[in-house]
Amino acid sequence: MRRRIVGACAGLTTTLFLAGCATNAPQDTWQPKGPNAQKIDNLQKPVFAVAGIIGVIVTVAIITAVIKFRDKGQPIPHQSHGNPALEITLTIIPALILTVVGVFTFRTVFDLAKTSDTEMIINVTGQQWWWEYDYPVQNEFGITQPIITSGQLVIPAGTKVLLRQTSRDVIHSYWIPALNGKRDAVPGRVHLNRIEADKPGIYAGQCTEFCGLSHANMRMEAVALSKEDFAKWVANQLKPYASPAENTLAKEGETVFMNQCVRCHQVNGMKRADGTPVIAAPDENVVSGAAPNLSHLMSRNTFAGATFDLLNKTCREDVWTAGSESFGAKYLSGVSEDCLNQSDLRGWLRNAPAMKPMYANPALLASTGGKYRGMPNLGLTESDIEKLVAYLLTLK
Amino acid sequence: MFSTGSKYFFGLSVLGAISFAVYMLLIGESAIGATALFGLVAAAGLLTALVLFTRDGDAGEEGIAASTAAPTQSMWPLIGVIGATLLLVGTITSAVITLLGVVVLLAAIIEWTVLSWSERASSDAAFNASLRKRLLNPIEFPVLAAVGLGVVIFSFSRITLAVDKSVGASAFIAVGALVLAAGVLFSLRPNVKRGIVIGVCVVGAVAIVAAGIAGLGVGVREELVLAKEEGHYTHQECGAEESEHFDKLPLEGISATASVVATITLAEGKLVASVQGIAGEQNSITIPRSNPSNIVFHNATEGEYRLVANLGKKMVTDGVNEDVVQCTQLIPQDAEQLLTLTIPKPAMAGAPYTLTIPGLAGQSIEVIVP
Repeated sequence: MRRRIVGACAGLTTTLFLAGCATNAPQDTWQPKGPNAQKIDNLQKPVFAVAGIIGVIVTVAIITAVIKFRDKGQPIPHQSHGNPALEITLTIIPALILTVVGVFTFRTVFDLAKTSDTEMIINVTGQQWWWEYDYPVQNEFGITQPIITSGQLVIPAGTKVLLRQTSRDVIHSYWIPALNGKRDAVPGRVHLNRIEADKPGIYAGQCTEFCGLSHANMRMEAVALSKEDFAKWVANQLKPYASPAENTLAKEGETVFMNQCVRCHQVNGMKRADGTPVIAAPDENVVSGAAPNLSHLMSRNTFAGATFDLLNKTCREDVWTAGSESFGAKYLSGVSEDCLNQSDLRGWLRNAPAMKPMYANPALLASTGGKYRGMPNLGLTESDIEKLVAYLLTLK
Repeated sequence: MFSTGSKYFFGLSVLGAISFAVYMLLIGESAIGATALFGLVAAAGLLTALVLFTRDGDAGEEGIAASTAAPTQSMWPLIGVIGATLLLVGTITSAVITLLGVVVLLAAIIEWTVLSWSERASSDAAFNASLRKRLLNPIEFPVLAAVGLGVVIFSFSRITLAVDKSVGASAFIAVGALVLAAGVLFSLRPNVKRGIVIGVCVVGAVAIVAAGIAGLGVGVREELVLAKEEGHYTHQECGAEESEHFDKLPLEGISATASVVATITLAEGKLVASVQGIAGEQNSITIPRSNPSNIVFHNATEGEYRLVANLGKKMVTDGVNEDVVQCTQLIPQDAEQLLTLTIPKPAMAGAPYTLTIPGLAGQSIEVIVP
């Protein structure tokens, strides 16, 4: 029995130890990729070491005391009460340790709250269960018109970016571990969060405040591009809408989009046959009052709150594993028909709630006045899906 | 102390209460389910009290000896009757009185039950009294302290509502200072007689409660009555002012005014925006669509001005559109007022959303809704 317990403990310890060796861990908090995350890392490593040493000392002391002085029928030893010297020492030492940790912690906290050196501003709005990013006009980055996107936050590498975070429904929390600590997005408040990436690449994150049914599916990715590549990305986002050519499958898909998807999803610049602009009305259909803007959808690599990849496995791996020099070009090439993750996109169009739980059952919407919390099953035919996929592929 | 039977029924009561709470939270109000579970709680609670009282019917020698002792006098039956009366009166008058009746009745039942139970614990009256204290004092003291503080705070609030705003603030400062001074004095003089400390505290509390009762009799001050009648906390007309009585400082809640996306200032005839997190003055603000966004308007120019949010047009009937506008009230120099905008859709091309000041040409802040 004893041997089994020892074996189980050894096995558990080994498993935990080996878990730390995982290489495919994009949300590893111990691998900072920017100065803000580096500041946190510089603080947490020594604190972790100090806490670890103290933890080991306390654990060993307790185990030793439990084993050495366990009841073996010996008489109860002399009981003494009070030892001022020992008590003062054991109060002063932790107080000193905490003071030192506190000083460095406060310094880091204030450093991370600094906004005076901001170079770029991006508004981040959370809602169940996706993140929206809008870029106010910033001529120095070529952003002459507001840009709106979702799922992937695109930033220039080596630039101090200030995220102005808020939420449309419940409290969410924005966290890209490689770039900074987490910061809550609270309805009615604007919280500031600074991020900066050292090098081009993709940095993964996840909502870290429980926010409802699909909290675990509320992901995000920060894409850092070189300044030149970022300028290209901006230029592409500002490109005017181009309607598909007449008599094509994509053109038929545009009609399906106007009849179905535009109730919630906006594509900037889209116009009806009579020339009137198409304005989505998510405020009439969704609890949060917003749905992802799908302009230039295929310039992103993900959809549905970054839950699913728009790129198939091979193409995605090609982008994620690209070196800093080639990453930008690969990311900017967007999603081609060959690289499209047809399976997930079609599955999503076929029955979105089956892929991501979203309180989208029409029978259970009494409490929200008939409004959905996510994308419902639209009951599209296979033919509609075919047309929509062809159309969405044109949104580069 | 607790008999086997009482533990069983007590456990059943707690289980029933938890089930009742979970049922109400998860399934919602249902007359049948909630009544059944509440019935279970009440029945199990009654049985707990009975079994405790009779000690599972096992009197024993100590019990027999104890039961021969005459019970002490108790005020709890009287309080119980008051509670039952309040409960009955509340059913035909107000839910608050019903709730008060339930609380008083429950308190009386618990206190009386424990008192009776403790009096039969042994033939030693002192031991019985200590048993009662051990069981109930940890509940009684915090509850009584909370109720006492609540009464004092409520009384003080009646005073501040009855008197002028500045007098209320002065009274608050004065009372706070007196409490602090008394606290400092008592801590510096630890040997002061207990009776003096209690006397000072009781006199202070009674004075506040008496003043509160007087304030309740006087009623709230006139400007608050008029303000409530005019609904000035909610209306923000863009035309002629309908209100004479309104607070020209930021309205709404503290949390709203503490979290603004932008402050719009009218200074020397110029309208500028300062946006949280962005350095320098701005001539546009960006707010997310469908999201309540708080904006503070600060008038730094002589005269009364209001801020107007021009939010496009909406169709009222076929072919008929009307302007969508939201306004602050007219506010004097150095005053501020909050405006909360919720804009569901981006502006149409060529017709941007703007913030303007009526009568001030050429000054506007663009509101961008991506």
